[in-house]
Amino acid sequence: MKKYISTILFLLYIGAVSFGQSTDPLVSNCVMNAGNNGKYMKDFRVQLGKSAGQTELRFKANMSLWKNTKYRFTMCNSQDSKGQLIMSIKDDGNKEILSSYDSKTGKTYPFIDFICQKSGIYQLNFDFTGGQQGSGVGVVSVIK
Amino acid sequence: MKGRIFILLLLLSAGLSCRNTSNKADQFVFPEADSVPVSEAEKLSPEAIADISKNISSPVEIANLLQMLEVPFSPNYIASSIDANKQSTNFDKALKMGILGADLGYLNMYEKTGSSLEILSSIRKLSEDIKVGQFFDFETIKRLSQNYSNLDSLLFLSIDSYTQIDNYLRENDRGQLSALIIIGVWIEGQYLATQVVTQFPDQMLIDRIGEQKIILNDLLMLLVPYCNLGPEYTELCSNLQTMKENYRDVKITYTQGDPISVEKDGGLVITQTETSVVEMTREQLNVIIETTKNIRNRLILNN
Repeated sequence: MKKYISTILFLLYIGAVSFGQSTDPLVSNCVMNAGNNGKYMKDFRVQLGKSAGQTELRFKANMSLWKNTKYRFTMCNSQDSKGQLIMSIKDDGNKEILSSYDSKTGKTYPFIDFICQKSGIYQLNFDFTGGQQGSGVGVVSVIK
Repeated sequence: MKGRIFILLLLLSAGLSCRNTSNKADQFVFPEADSVPVSEAEKLSPEAIADISKNISSPVEIANLLQMLEVPFSPNYIASSIDANKQSTNFDKALKMGILGADLGYLNMYEKTGSSLEILSSIRKLSEDIKVGQFFDFETIKRLSQNYSNLDSLLFLSIDSYTQIDNYLRENDRGQLSALIIIGVWIEGQYLATQVVTQFPDQMLIDRIGEQKIILNDLLMLLVPYCNLGPEYTELCSNLQTMKENYRDVKITYTQGDPISVEKDGGLVITQTETSVVEMTREQLNVIIETTKNIRNRLILNN
């Protein structure tokens, strides 16, 4: 019993020390799950209602990505989300560079490693599968 | 015994809950001098400004590149001469918060977390002075720094604090301070890259310096609405304009190609085959190095 309680206390302490300030455990858990060799850079918090039927991913943000850098994009969603968080990246010519969702097979990938060879400003697009409502976070890390 | 443990758990969980609801932003009243005429701030949409602030090259990316090139850490690049107690205007405070933020990123990436405590306390002082100290959990960041562990948490907390400050300032009509922090981060990152390149003239690093042309215009757009707010703003605008001029003849060209994707460990690995190519002469690079050094060193002088 004592051991069990000590473990709980220890875990609570680690939680407090590690992410004392974060207001959103979804973000902090996603950062921790982004992999050991990644270093956190940015996150995009996505909250969307059910789509009215549009096919384009609805949450859009711009971000500069730099040549000779390996980025990891990790997608996490809250348990009550109806769909899974997916993302795509388009370059400044609106050409799709990558997508975490394979529309042919319906498969979603929880993370994407992107080896960037062209510096520029890219458009990051997020949505939930099937245009469902959901809440999630996309974490961007750099990998050595 | 069980009762004591229960009370202990209750206190601990109460402590955690308090931390998570610690947004004390509405307790502060901001001085009139900080507000910017609406017409000035409206020159760029809030979404455009938010995008620009995300586009600025992160010090984490630059430090990551330096580590990839096996460039050793050097304390000489840090703006350790900044004395937070001697900054008299909000302009100086915000700009130096940006500069020190970039230094903090550099120290953290090299896991020189013990050395970051002095910088952390300067950032704390500056952020409290411009009334955004509530977004920085200094005690946790300090503890993580002292423990030499959990780098991810440390990076997350440090960067997330700056993101929250940036959002808060922009949402509260104090966009000029947000712009100054972002510009401070960029200038210090640029200083770091240009100083390192003089010692380690690696092509990848030279290219990264040349590629800054891509975001320089955005950076200027961020500051332009505030160029007439005072002489210090006007001078900073003029400095960035000079920098832009230095980049005028730097060329960036692109080659075409389709990305290659491979499944690995449950995820997807995408390798881009399209490339960007920087054409920058040694003379152009030298001018950029010199201008960056002059601007940055003038900015870190104490008042």
